[in-house]
Order: sequence, then structure tokens, then C-alpha cells
Amino acid sequence: MIKPQTQSVKASSNSGDLILDVSRLSVQFQGDNGPVLAVNDVSFQVRAGERVGIVGESGSGKSVTAQALLSLLSGATIEGEVNFQGQNILEMAPEKLRKLRGWDISYIFQDPLSAMDPVRTVGDQVSQVLRLRGVGRLEAKERAIAMLSRVGIRNPEARFGDYPHQFSGGMRQRAMIAMALIGDPALVIADEPTTALDVRVQAQVIDLLYELTEERGVAVVFITHDLSILAAFAQRMMVMYAGRIVESGATDDIYYGSIHPYTLGLLNSLPRVTGDIAKELTTIGGQPPAPTNIPAGCAFNPRCRYVVDQCSEETPQLTIPKGANHPSRCHRSQWLAEKPGELR
Amino acid sequence: MNDVILEVINLVREFPVQGSSREVVRAVDDVSFTVYQGEALGLVGESGSGKSTTARCILRLIEPTSGAVLYQGRDVLKMSRADLKVFRREAQLVFQDPYSSLDPKMRVGDIISEGLHIHFPRMSKDEVFAELKNLLSLVGLREDHLNRFPESFSGGERQRIGIARALAVKPSLLVCDEPVASLDVSIQAQVLNLFQELKESLGLTIIFIAHDLATVRHLCQRVAVMEQGVIREIGSREQIYQNPQHPYTRSLMVSVPEPDPKSEREKLRLRQAGLDGEAV
Repeated sequence: MIKPQTQSVKASSNSGDLILDVSRLSVQFQGDNGPVLAVNDVSFQVRAGERVGIVGESGSGKSVTAQALLSLLSGATIEGEVNFQGQNILEMAPEKLRKLRGWDISYIFQDPLSAMDPVRTVGDQVSQVLRLRGVGRLEAKERAIAMLSRVGIRNPEARFGDYPHQFSGGMRQRAMIAMALIGDPALVIADEPTTALDVRVQAQVIDLLYELTEERGVAVVFITHDLSILAAFAQRMMVMYAGRIVESGATDDIYYGSIHPYTLGLLNSLPRVTGDIAKELTTIGGQPPAPTNIPAGCAFNPRCRYVVDQCSEETPQLTIPKGANHPSRCHRSQWLAEKPGELR
Repeated sequence: MNDVILEVINLVREFPVQGSSREVVRAVDDVSFTVYQGEALGLVGESGSGKSTTARCILRLIEPTSGAVLYQGRDVLKMSRADLKVFRREAQLVFQDPYSSLDPKMRVGDIISEGLHIHFPRMSKDEVFAELKNLLSLVGLREDHLNRFPESFSGGERQRIGIARALAVKPSLLVCDEPVASLDVSIQAQVLNLFQELKESLGLTIIFIAHDLATVRHLCQRVAVMEQGVIREIGSREQIYQNPQHPYTRSLMVSVPEPDPKSEREKLRLRQAGLDGEAV
């Protein structure tokens, strides 16, 4: 069904190949009161078919990082490199970038109602990616209907001509997923795709994204503020705080063996439906710093329960402490690594 | 158990269907439940379940179509203006969105003390100020916050301002409409703990509305689960979480994500085996 010329445009990647290599990425905005460093020296890699999570609270720089991956930041000063299949996206010509977006890398936005065009039909928008690559109208429509059906939209032939406002929130997000995956991209960036949804719909949308990317071998970078929803989804994750990665590792290593006080704090403060009912939820005191006012030394030090003098004086590096299996940006990560499970 | 503070009896609220003159949709469909003095009752449901409409009917912010709401034995829906004013002091609402629920042009001190001026007009300036200081320390804000405007506060702090405003008039019943839903994860736990403390220190009765079961579990001794305007299940915390009876409660339980990869992978497997395919 896929025309050879449209398929040949795309560089194929085998499972396990390095497809995304972000190296020393920093993003700075010009604020009213001087420059604001939103992302500070972030490096990470994604392999073909891999599901990677980025977790952080508001102001952590997670969404700005996601937008940088598709060079969607205008008016920002960007340093570092975002290499996708060997090419630096940040230095790509607009023409080339346009070919890449939605085709090799696609983006699922948090709010489909504002991300979709309200005066164009859902079908039109889902098939647009194909039409732009020279697929004929009829074939594009056929494939869009098949895709809408695959993402769980009933009666897709009839819904093809509906406008976004005629879809429910969950349905719209399904349509966004259809739009993101119809071009068979190598990488999907999902920026809090379920934040606005009810819990059951959220679970369905994440399950759908899981299934589809698994069956097509698509890599996913999933951005969220909620550690819980990554637990089953992601194979690997990064925790961001005040513009930096503070801990990264395999999912189980983060959840069961975190060696960063911020991650530990987040994990402990999440309410659950099972387990002991503690009288009080464990909390992290204070609040995340504004990007305009990041504390010196370790940015987490004013909120940290394990803080020592060194923390306010010296910025810790993201290193793997002795005896641990993943890196953490904490002066006391060695000490934390020696107490597996005790601090939970 | 303790005395009954609030009784909701056969509450119904209908809304006209858009574009139709006769059709109506029942947002709240024959809801009855009891709230006991000093307890926290969780009201859990997804959007469109009627949980917020129920809360607004209880406070008579919207008029129910039929039914009764008995507050300490008296029907709120039949109260005189004077009695209603007393009721509106005793029953306070904490809103979901701490951004739109605070007037951006009022200083924090004025926001919190507005209710005092209305309900206790004879309070002197000094008394109001003393009360303000007391309220600030209750909710964990500082005195120098009083002269600032809402814009200079984070979401968590704004929610504390909203809580202080509700507590200012010494309510017995606090209705909280998803008060932590829009807060950062690390702030949610702080605010949930604050409700717990306030409930104990002030002997408050709380109706706590949430869209997921995890949020209310720490605070609420009893939980009601709503769907499509109907209470599907109501019971003690133990009953609801350890032995949910209604299929809807169970589907909510397996949908709530928890920070535990092993159990989450199991839940994913369960969903793919059973609940999956039911598009919403």
C-alpha cells in the first residue's frame, strides 16, 4: 500500500540503533529581568524502539527539552546538539526540518483541542502528513481511516469528516496519536499527553500508545509530571529538576533503588490505592524554584532532608557512585546508595 | 458513629440538552448519602459523573431540580434568606483552580478577611488582624504575604490562601472541589496533609471531591464513587479499597497509576486482557 518513493525518503533504523543523541543541551530565554536558563547542560540518548520517560515538576525544563528535540523553540538561545539519526536538528535548514517533523519525528501535545485546527476536519488533519509527502488523496484517506480505526475510534469512515470539537477529550487524544503515528515515525515525543484526561481514559490512552509503539517499533520520549504513569510504560527514565537531569536509569532502578533525595521525595509523596495508610503523606517541603531564581550549589538543597554544607556551595555532577548502577546528581548519592530501600 | 451533620435525600439536578427544548440530561440522578460530624467523606468520579454538581447543589450554589439537603436537620433548599446566610457561613467551598478563584485585584489580606466583614461586621480592625494572623499560621503562610496580590504566589500558596479564606468564617463543613488537582506532585501531598491537620485541630467535617481514588485515600474515612449522576458504591475506606463491590469502582482501581513498576505491569496486563477495548 505504501508507495515506494514515499517510503524511500525515510532512513530506516534497526531496533537498538542509536537514533537520538542529545548532547550538552542548554536553552536560555530572554526574560524581563535578564536571561532565564530553562534547560541546563542536558545529555541523553534514545535507541530505536525504546520508551524513555522524562519526569519533572513545573519549571523543571522537561517541556522545553521536548520542544528542543524538534527545534520548536523560537527566540531562545540554544547550545549543544540534538542529533537525530546522525544529523544535528538544531542546525538544520527550515526546509529539511519541515520534512522531518511529523514524518520521522512526531509530537503529541498535551492539549489536543488547542493543538488541532478547529476549522479543519479530523480526517483532513490525520491524513495531512501523508498528503504532504505526495500520497494521493484517496489513498491518504483510506490509510487515515485505517489508522483512526486502529486507535479505537468507532465508525471511522463517518468520524473522518468530523471536526475536533465533535470528539470527546479521550477521542481527540486518540486522533492525535493517529496523526503522530500515521507517517511511521522513528520517534514520537509525547508531552504530557494524558494530563487533561480522566483516570480511566488516561490508562486507555497510555495503553494504546504502549501497544502501538511496541508493535511498530517506534521510540517514545514521554514527558510527564507524574512518576506513576511511567511505571509500566517506560523502560528507562530521567528525573529533571530546575533545568538539569538529577537522576537517570532503568525504570526499576529508579523506583526501587533511587539514589537522589528529590526522586525519593517524589516517590514517597505520591498517594496510592494500596499499602499502609500512613497518618501523614511524606512530603518535600517548599516548592520548586522559579527558573529565574535557582539556588546556588545543588538546586534542590533548600528542600532536601539530607542536606550538608557542601550542597549549597558546590554543584554536584551527574555521576554513578560506587556500588550503584545508575547516575545521580547528588553529593550524598554514595551514602544513599549504601542504604538501599531504607529510605523509602 | 457520630451525629449526622448533613443528609442528602433523593437529590436530582437536570440540565436542558443544548438545542432541544424538551430533552433534559440528569447530571445528578437520585443521589442520597449522609455525612457525619467530624468525618471526611470522599466523593470520587470522573468528569461528567455529577460530583461537582452534587457539591454545588448541597451548597445551593445551583438549585436542585428535586430532593432535599438537610443540614443539621433543616432543609437547605427551603431556608429563608437569613437562615441561608448562616448556612453559607457554616458551609464553605474550596475551589479547584487556585488561579481563577482568587480576585487578582485584591490583596491577600482583603481576600481572606472579606468573609469576616460580611459575617462578623462588628469585628474591630484589631480583631480582624489578629484573626488574619491566626489563619495565616494555620495554613502555613506568613504575615508579610497579606499585602501582596495573588499573582506573586505559586499554585500551592494560592490554594492555601483559598483555604484560609474558607476557614476565616469558622465553618463546620468544608466542601473541597478537587483542591489539589492542579498542583505539582510534591505540593499535592503538602496540601492533603494540611486538610488532615485542619480536620483534626478544628474538628471540621470535609466533603472532598476528587477524580481518582488515590487522592482521597489518606484523608477520607468513607468514600462514595459516582458515575453518570449515580452513586455506584459508598462505604468505609476499608470496604472501598480492599473489597470494592461495583465493577466501576474496580475499573477505577486498576486505572489509578501507582509508582510501582511491578504492580503497574501487572495492571497493564489485566487491562489488556479485560478492560481494554472499551473506548471512552
